[in-house]
Amino acid sequence: MHGIDWVDLGLSGLKIAVVLGAMLNVTPIMVWVERRGSALIQDRPGPNRVGPLGLFQSFADALKFILKEDMLPAKANKVLYTIAPMFGLIPALTTIAVVPWGRPFLLPGGRLFEPIIANVNIGILLIFALASMGVYGIVMAGWASANKYSLFGGIRASAQMISYELSLTLAAVSALMVAGSLSLPDVVWRQTGSFVLFNVIKLPAWNIFSPAMWIAFVVFFVSSFAETNRLPFDFAEAEAELVAGYHTEYSSMKFALFFMSEYMAMATMSALITTLFLGGWDIPWYNEPPNALGFALSVLSFVVKVSVLLFIFVWVRWTIPRLKYDLLMKLGWKVFLPAAVINIVIVALFIAKRWI
Amino acid sequence: MISFAIFFFFAAVAVIFAAMVVLHRNPVVGALSLVASFFALAVMYVLLEAPFLAALQVIVYAGAIMVLFLFVIMLLNLQHQEEPRTRPVQQFLGYTTSAAFGLALIYYLAKYGVTKLPDGLFVSDARTIGIKMFEGYIFPFEMVSILLLAAIVGALLLSNRSDLAKKEETS
Amino acid sequence: MIPTHWFLILSAILFTIGVCGVLTRKNGITIFMCIELMVNAVNLTFVAYARQFHQIHGLLFVFFVMAIAAAEAAVGLAIFISLFHHRHTIDVDEANLMRW
Repeated sequence: MHGIDWVDLGLSGLKIAVVLGAMLNVTPIMVWVERRGSALIQDRPGPNRVGPLGLFQSFADALKFILKEDMLPAKANKVLYTIAPMFGLIPALTTIAVVPWGRPFLLPGGRLFEPIIANVNIGILLIFALASMGVYGIVMAGWASANKYSLFGGIRASAQMISYELSLTLAAVSALMVAGSLSLPDVVWRQTGSFVLFNVIKLPAWNIFSPAMWIAFVVFFVSSFAETNRLPFDFAEAEAELVAGYHTEYSSMKFALFFMSEYMAMATMSALITTLFLGGWDIPWYNEPPNALGFALSVLSFVVKVSVLLFIFVWVRWTIPRLKYDLLMKLGWKVFLPAAVINIVIVALFIAKRWI
Repeated sequence: MISFAIFFFFAAVAVIFAAMVVLHRNPVVGALSLVASFFALAVMYVLLEAPFLAALQVIVYAGAIMVLFLFVIMLLNLQHQEEPRTRPVQQFLGYTTSAAFGLALIYYLAKYGVTKLPDGLFVSDARTIGIKMFEGYIFPFEMVSILLLAAIVGALLLSNRSDLAKKEETS
Repeated sequence: MIPTHWFLILSAILFTIGVCGVLTRKNGITIFMCIELMVNAVNLTFVAYARQFHQIHGLLFVFFVMAIAAAEAAVGLAIFISLFHHRHTIDVDEANLMRW
């Protein structure tokens, strides 16, 4: 096999290692943020015994997951019961491959380092395609557990996910129409720079600052809560109503995989929201130079934006009550889907009149 | 060379899971094997330089249509029913005629297969497909949207029939 | 580059498996799944020829076939649900009211 670019292969391996490490570390950090954040909102101390400020609580949780007994219900379909949690990880770990997390910069050898694992033409379609695969994990988990509460929870959760996938896709289309391309680096490049409002205020050219995209931002933001089965849309795994929904019969590492995939999906959705609407890795009012310093600052900016969104996910969970299932489905089909379509028309109008 | 390896692996996956759809008794396992087969076909589309269609295949077929199948199977509680065995006569005739048909197809395809590929790049990204669709195929596009509307209305009406029947019985 | 007739042979194999399933099975939903398999085999043929002749019309055909197959799946499954409510079985041999 001649002509293999070993430097390129090595850089790709490095990028994969970095992103994989970041995604796998999201879960312990988010568990801590969730427990301390919920404690802050509910005016109680939260875990503060294990390590300073309770920082090692996640290690204790991970140890508990590993050491628990791994059960298999007697009437469960063994093959599907075992592979269902793996399907939950597919959207969580693979969709982050097309999200750009920093500014491309020139390495000393003259080579351009692009901080995105797979820069394909059809970037965002891969995200939608692999997110549809996540539904199968829930359906299989609900069916293979041989438990009627799991089946109900599984069917409800997957119906909810499919309905909100539609409004998610259509809301994302507005941001893509402005960029004129399906690949996410193009969307971010379109949002660098700034524009002047009323000849006075200089705003960064992020998509969220243009009035054509406000409806799309709200629809996308709320639909991402529904996609990841987070409160106020977690009727399918509500503790009080359905025991634990589709992962009732799961214990130890298989449950840990479901748990991890939920947090990783949250992180991916936050990364997607920042890329589409909040300018991705762009630092506001600052032109990053194409060298290592600009790259590091852009990565820092991306991480800060994703962290703020993740904290908002936790904040909303402990503030807003849960939506009843039929209200949830009505909201998805009768409010968000028409709103996303209307927003596409508005963005098309803005593009035709060259206001954007 | 590596594309040949990918082709053979995913072709084997597609054929094996398609055979499982036909041979396995439980419809849920059949539906999930069909999903795996569709995923392998999406990889085939990537090998054929059509990545847009590969993504569409996963989104539409594996992500939406098969979920619909799974929902209907679970709604009708078919997951526990193992269907009765087909009559041996029907099985024998079915297998032999389809095998004969398949062998004839493969023989003629292999005999008259065109091996020369045109050179140059095949531009098949979303922009080209979109431009071509709105230039030449705009009428089928609008017709398909009306067809989808008709399908939605039809599906809603057909699955509501039992409620109407119950209302007629009680009134 | 992979020769086109290999893709056509794969498509023929998948089509044959679909035909075999339609002729041999009695469960209505399994028959419907085999029909979808046949449609996908034909889609693969379209895309293989589109690449062979560098024409994008094949890809557009596949686009429309996918949309129509989605509509067909929705209506077909609604018909099966309706059949199930009346006959309480999904076995296609039991749908024989019009047989003499």
